[in-house]
Amino acid sequence: MTATILEVQNLAKHYRQPGNLWSSLSARSRIIPAVDDVSFYIKANETMGLVGETGCGKTTIGRTVLKLTRPSAGRIIFDGQDVTDLSPRQFRPYRRQMQMIFQDLDAALNPKMRIKAILKEAMQVHHPMKNGRLDARLEELVAKVNLKKSKLTNYPPELSGGEKRRVGIARALAVGARFLVADEPTSALDVSIQAQVVNLLKQLQATLGLSYLFISHDLRLVELISHKVAVMYLGRIVEMGLAGRIARKPHHPYTHILWSSLVEKKSRETAGIPNPPEASTPGVFDFQRPVHGCRFAPRCPVYHDKGQPAICTDPDATPPLRDVDASHKVACHFPL
Amino acid sequence: MNYLPILKIEDLCTYFYSRSKQAFIRSVDHVGLQIAKGQTLGLVGESGSGKSVTALSIMGLVRGEPGVISGSIELNTPEGGINLLQGLGLHVRIHRDNGRIMQVAKDADAWEKTADRNLRGIRGKQIAMIFQDPKNAMNPFVAVGRQIAEAVRLNTAVAGHREARARALHWLAQVRIDSPQLRYHNNPHGLSGGMCQRAMIAMALAAEPVVLIADEPTTGLDATIQSHIVDLMGDLKDELALTTLLISHDIDVIRSLADTVAVMYGGTIMQQGPVQAVLGDTGTQHPYTAALLDSIPDQRLIRSKGYLQAIRGDVLDTMNIPAGCRFYPRCNKVDDTIRAQCRDQEPALINIAGGHRVRCWRFAQARPYSGRAAVHAMQRN
Ligand SMILES: Nc1ncnc2c1ncn2[C@@H]1O[C@H](COP(=O)(O)OP(=O)(O)O)[C@@H](O)[C@H]1O
Ligand SMILES: Nc1ncnc2c1ncn2[C@@H]1O[C@H](COP(=O)(O)OP(=O)(O)O)[C@@H](O)[C@H]1O
Ligand code: SF4
Ligand code: SF4
Ligand SMILES: [Mg+2]
Ligand SMILES: [Mg+2]
Repeated sequence: MTATILEVQNLAKHYRQPGNLWSSLSARSRIIPAVDDVSFYIKANETMGLVGETGCGKTTIGRTVLKLTRPSAGRIIFDGQDVTDLSPRQFRPYRRQMQMIFQDLDAALNPKMRIKAILKEAMQVHHPMKNGRLDARLEELVAKVNLKKSKLTNYPPELSGGEKRRVGIARALAVGARFLVADEPTSALDVSIQAQVVNLLKQLQATLGLSYLFISHDLRLVELISHKVAVMYLGRIVEMGLAGRIARKPHHPYTHILWSSLVEKKSRETAGIPNPPEASTPGVFDFQRPVHGCRFAPRCPVYHDKGQPAICTDPDATPPLRDVDASHKVACHFPL
Repeated sequence: MNYLPILKIEDLCTYFYSRSKQAFIRSVDHVGLQIAKGQTLGLVGESGSGKSVTALSIMGLVRGEPGVISGSIELNTPEGGINLLQGLGLHVRIHRDNGRIMQVAKDADAWEKTADRNLRGIRGKQIAMIFQDPKNAMNPFVAVGRQIAEAVRLNTAVAGHREARARALHWLAQVRIDSPQLRYHNNPHGLSGGMCQRAMIAMALAAEPVVLIADEPTTGLDATIQSHIVDLMGDLKDELALTTLLISHDIDVIRSLADTVAVMYGGTIMQQGPVQAVLGDTGTQHPYTAALLDSIPDQRLIRSKGYLQAIRGDVLDTMNIPAGCRFYPRCNKVDDTIRAQCRDQEPALINIAGGHRVRCWRFAQARPYSGRAAVHAMQRN
């Protein structure tokens, strides 16, 4: 049996809505339940894909797991050790093993530092080493991510999108990461370049045994790269299981809609369930109309087809994530 | 087919000059395109290939020197035809070396005046454009309904406020915005990305344009919202018989909406023709088109969890266009019979079947080569 590298138990993250003084003083100060009761585990050398529309809490999970932000509740267990309450000092040895590949590399890479300096700095953070050895390691690293050596003397703004991603990945490897959160690592890239980055991630996983939390709203890439996929809707995991099953035999109405919205699929075959109405502000928790029970109900075609059963909106019956079988869970009162 | 294209672009060149590198960025380099009435032309290609600059050239919105330097952009409206680049030649002197543009002298101010005159009553009116980022394209402080009503009053015969408001509500409904009466009063930031994109489409339609240019209308939206916008654009195409230039780097979007397709790379058209011929399983693809199609994960590959077929290298740097085929440094279809040609001579865009044209030596081997000047002559026919 492979070891579990990361386990998350009942994770929650609530943000206080930024507002004016009055709203922060008032008793009804608004809370954004960005992530609620999320549990999952990732095995060593495996990838878990995390999908869902903008604002559903994917980035929040990624950041909380890496302790870049504090959870409101729940436990984070890395490599058998509960790291939730570790002080920054105690967390240091874990920090280098858990890294993030950022969505916005223009913000994450110092534009005034040469690529060489960026990578050398990263390699030195945890293991100071002599220059000769450093250069040898740098060469190895650059070869690992297929970056042209000539690019080492460039500054980040001079690199193409694909090259920037390579540098981002190289930097994470430089500190000695074993587990990577890849937050939309291919967004804004052309398919041709996206393919290079995905291949690189797959290849590094095969050769270095890395584990990934792969966040993306590109469903095809998620299915391709992930062993397991979790589907989120407004802060909750609504379905989780093996990638192929999630994509082709989903049990949650939302998962079904997500995958049948793939434009390619749509133009070739007709989807079984019609598109639900577009939320006026999708993915954002609506305080004017807080949803009781299942958060997907207002947009759920099954809910409407079944004549709006009361259980779906019963505040005491929020559908729990239940086992469909050993490796598949769904949170719905009327699974497909 | 014998039809008068609504929009016909020939030999369009739009360059920028990089002072630090002392070289031209050949963003649009001898491009020719045409769109028939009621049809959608899809323009695809990786980012940086010159799609947006092509659109901005049509709209007369190119910012940067020297900008548009040659070509013609013919618009045929019910009121007659006009060349939007009429008089350009008077303000530009081009020096060629070996057929390639090496020096440009342009009287930018004089050209600006002429272009503005050419485009009066056309920009935003006969040709309307929707952009990738609707929130930037709309005024954040004015209710979307009022912005649409304003577009109606500015660009159509409707002058009265009440009537304009009614038209605006009509367009909001036309783009399937739920409860238009309510949404009329929303500011752009009060709408979700998908709704905002709809509002911008409504604003463009409100001018009742002859040609609609949509630049990456679905890029950056979530998958479900993307498919909603694609559905909407398909419906509008059927209902309004719009003539559309649809720009996207997403081949699936182009495939679902376009009648004809042009594939752009490094500032030039590599292949164009009916959507079936260019993007279908015909085996007559340009190596670049084929590589783009191959890099999209298909169901078989996804199931087998294999590696994707990436295109090696990066998008062409149009400051350093190679002497031969622009795609040569990344092409995996070069064989020994054509290697020298691929490396040294730029292939022409040749017709391989009714309206299906390809720029590749694999399709042109039998034809005698007669230099770069011939390439441009062929584009013009
Ligand atoms: N620092 C923050 N303060 C307040 N709200 C936040 C903050 N970060 C994220 N949110 C909110 O939490 C929700 C989830 O955001 P995020 O995790 O970024 O979603 P995703 O990555 O899936 O698009 C959103 O409603 C967002 O507005
Ligand atoms: N105003 C400008 N000044 C200099 N270069 C520009 C300008 N606008 C675009 N470019 C360059 O022209 C090329 C084509 O850009 P664009 O048309 O935006 O590509 P895309 O196909 O992604 O829409 C790019 O290399 C871009 O950097
Ligand atoms: S619980 Fe009810 S509303 Fe929620 S997804 Fe299932 S059927 Fe739809
Ligand atoms: S001309 Fe040669 S290099 Fe260019 S696309 Fe064709 S085969 Fe490839
Ligand atoms: Mg995010
Ligand atoms: Mg563009």
